[in-house]
Amino acid sequence: MTTAAIHEGSMPVTITVNGRTEKAEVPGLTPLGDFLREKLGLTGTKLGCRAGDCGSCTVLVDSVPVASCLMPVAQVGERAVATVEGLGGEGDLHPLQEAFRNNNASQCGFCIPGILMAATAFLDRAEPPSRAEVVDGLSGNLCRCTGYESIVSAIVEAHTLNREA
Amino acid sequence: MSGPAWVGQGIPQVDMLDKLRGSTKYIADISVSGMLHAVIVRSPVAHGRLHAVDVDRAKKVPGVRAVLTSADTPHRFFGPHANDWEILASEKVRSFGDEIAAIAATTLDAAREAAALVTATVEELPAVFDAREALRDGAPTVWEDRPGNVANSFQISRGNVEEAFAKADLVVTDRYSTNQIYHAYLEPIGVMAEYHPSGSYTLTVPSHIPYKARLTYAGALGVRPDQIRIVVPPIGGSFGAKYEMIEPLIAAVLARDTGRPVRLVYDREEDALIARSRPPFWFHHRIGVTAEGMFIARETEVVGTAGSRVFWSPAVLATAIHRVDSLYNFHNMAGTGALAYTNEAPTTCMRGFGNAESLFGIEQMIDEIGEKLGIDPVELRQRNAVREGETTLHGWHISSSKLPECLERVKEVSDLDNQRRETRKQRGLTGVRRGIGVAIAHHVSGYRPILADYDGSSAIVHATSGGRVTLFVGEPDIGQGQATVLSQLACDELGCSPDDVNLQGVDSALSPDAVGTLASRATTMAGNAVVAAARSARQKLDALLADHWRTTPDRLHREGEVVHFGEQSLTFRESMALYAASNCGLPLLGEGVHRPATQMPDKDKYGNPSAAYPFAAHVAEVEVDCDSGQIRVTRYWAVHDSGTILNPSTARGQVVGAIAQGVGWALMEDVKVDLGRVRNPNFLDYRIPGSGDMPETYVEFVDAYEPNGPHGAKSLAEAAINPVTAAIANAFHDATGIRCHDLPLAPERIWELLTGARAQSPAHDAEEALI
Ligand code: FES
Ligand code: FES
Repeated sequence: MTTAAIHEGSMPVTITVNGRTEKAEVPGLTPLGDFLREKLGLTGTKLGCRAGDCGSCTVLVDSVPVASCLMPVAQVGERAVATVEGLGGEGDLHPLQEAFRNNNASQCGFCIPGILMAATAFLDRAEPPSRAEVVDGLSGNLCRCTGYESIVSAIVEAHTLNREA
Repeated sequence: MSGPAWVGQGIPQVDMLDKLRGSTKYIADISVSGMLHAVIVRSPVAHGRLHAVDVDRAKKVPGVRAVLTSADTPHRFFGPHANDWEILASEKVRSFGDEIAAIAATTLDAAREAAALVTATVEELPAVFDAREALRDGAPTVWEDRPGNVANSFQISRGNVEEAFAKADLVVTDRYSTNQIYHAYLEPIGVMAEYHPSGSYTLTVPSHIPYKARLTYAGALGVRPDQIRIVVPPIGGSFGAKYEMIEPLIAAVLARDTGRPVRLVYDREEDALIARSRPPFWFHHRIGVTAEGMFIARETEVVGTAGSRVFWSPAVLATAIHRVDSLYNFHNMAGTGALAYTNEAPTTCMRGFGNAESLFGIEQMIDEIGEKLGIDPVELRQRNAVREGETTLHGWHISSSKLPECLERVKEVSDLDNQRRETRKQRGLTGVRRGIGVAIAHHVSGYRPILADYDGSSAIVHATSGGRVTLFVGEPDIGQGQATVLSQLACDELGCSPDDVNLQGVDSALSPDAVGTLASRATTMAGNAVVAAARSARQKLDALLADHWRTTPDRLHREGEVVHFGEQSLTFRESMALYAASNCGLPLLGEGVHRPATQMPDKDKYGNPSAAYPFAAHVAEVEVDCDSGQIRVTRYWAVHDSGTILNPSTARGQVVGAIAQGVGWALMEDVKVDLGRVRNPNFLDYRIPGSGDMPETYVEFVDAYEPNGPHGAKSLAEAAINPVTAAIANAFHDATGIRCHDLPLAPERIWELLTGARAQSPAHDAEEALI
């Protein structure tokens, strides 16, 4: 394919990211992850494999964790995208961030944005998740540094912090 | 005086908030104006003569700014160990994926399109893909000037092994092999290069040995080291892979040619296809023992793969041959080894650095010796372990060791004896079998021969009028929490809080020259240097405060972040404002130099290369599903002597993370190379442990103090991976009675071993007959 051909496919895209409406002109097949990083400068979302295998690119699309390396931006449509940059406010931390900090649940940190977004799914539940449930829920996210223990503890703790808040 | 306020606290990592907000800028997140994107064109064959590279069509792609071949590079051979690197291949390609051409374009798409249009005329040559074959007569030659394909060799001996073997009551001999492992850091390799008209370069490189790498880069580019500024961004995992790399050089040449900044970032597949992995080793070990279970002789022969050029494999080989002599007293030893050039991607170091590889076999053989002599495996290890205060066969001085306590504790917390009684009763080759295994390990805290010029470390502490403290060291943080413990050490000296501290990322324009973060050296070396630097800063501050209060420094009294003199007091911030105001704005500067108590090994490799040695004793419990060959690690116990633990929370994280990597190595990870080409260059086919693969883990640090470490601390992160594969293999043996000599203990291999054992076992036949 020539560059011209790639660009011929460009289309205007309007999506909502972290509550803001964003517009750009891109080939419709551009993965959401690239769109966030390249077009919007939201580099918090990481690309560890671009193949759906590692989870480091996880974002929320209408509150559902999605591998942003696989989803074409044109497919997002009206749905709301949330990335790590939208987690927590200016000065205050999201309960997940607070719990990750308390548990030192990161080393190199590369997997963490994706894991945080995947973990939001646990917070909406009424009952605190068990460790085994969290372990299961994280099956799509790889971390090469931590061995997951601190991450699992943090997610369990975040549920409590979230209830208290 | 009260104890330290910060050392020993499990405080959160100092860079945690950036990481949790997604604001840490890794290399792929950094773009600068005018930046071009680079793509590499690679060899499609494993071995061939390169006749021509046609770049004409590639140059015409819109957006392309440069298409370079070897002729456009400062053409010379260079490399960290042998002159067998070149920036782009010239006459020959020697492994699949060798760099043939490089493209820089305004967009990544344009660069990729151009790359697809480069054509190389390559005459394919016979290739060799196995180190053992490469060393045989008649094997294809990888480098014409190195007939026989010997990339490196290592010999060492102490005492008289043959005499000792003749005296031994028992001699065990065995072969073991360790496999090729991908570091599988989540952040693929990436670099950025800028060229300045003055003839100098700025290379942004996630290397954890930036100054050593710079020497190699300067040689390659034909400039002085000081003409290269190296900036180290946050690193998204390395584990030994991101040392000295070829990528910064390719980007540098593109930047020079185009006059524009050039960024080169791999995707996962490219990263894994050309990965410089853990070198595979084939071991032959022989151990001689007396009837009382005292080791008296060891002999080891190793063959390993260097690949098409030499990265760091020679140091790994040397370690695999002789480091174990500082864990056990064998009294007489002989070791030889060779690394072969093959037509495969070059190998390099990975966490554990040869020591983990050697222990996979040795620790299994020690269990076997125990079984043959009827001596409990823990007791046998206790009898032969090197003790605190000893100087070992190679001159290594063990200034502290609580290994005996680690062994006792791990035995106790895992209830080893009772559990083993149970597992032994259940041992078998069918159904689900449980087993439990022990293994021990040690490591270094720095290794002097790496860059003899800068052994030790130095640090600068810089504090502003507002009380902001910045630490400058030459050892990059690689995510292990080193910045955090260095901050804790500095705060206790200076009387400030980690919230006040920034750690300047390593930048050769600002940071002290240093060996870097490798060989488990950063906490011990940089830690001592930071303590010294912070102390010198505090002494200056105290002199000023004493002057201010018309007293002497010894009458000042610090409590947390407040300095008192009688009724008067100042916070750290207030005292810094006073310091700057009294010195026309000068920041408070402290310098620290740490020269460790090491002794450079002599030409016979006799000396003390490390200032401190950490120890560990691990126990693994496994469940073997004999029908599928699947092994699960169900529980795990790790007891460590790392001296004083500066931050228990990050320390625990290091141990658990190392166990995860060890579990992956032991049970599932394997770079599958077929005719020189990696067949599993992605996370689907190269599986690393996921959350569900991790055992429940117990971690304990015994009370210990290392006289050469900062506040008594020594290293941790490599000692923690070293025993893991052996502990798991010993547990597998406990469950089934089978020795697994090769890594990984993956289902296919285990299934085959079990099937073979069943076929040979009359007991099993009887068991089957009953069913
Ligand atoms: S980058 Fe999307 S799953 Fe790995
Ligand atoms: S913290 Fe490094 S990959 Fe998870």
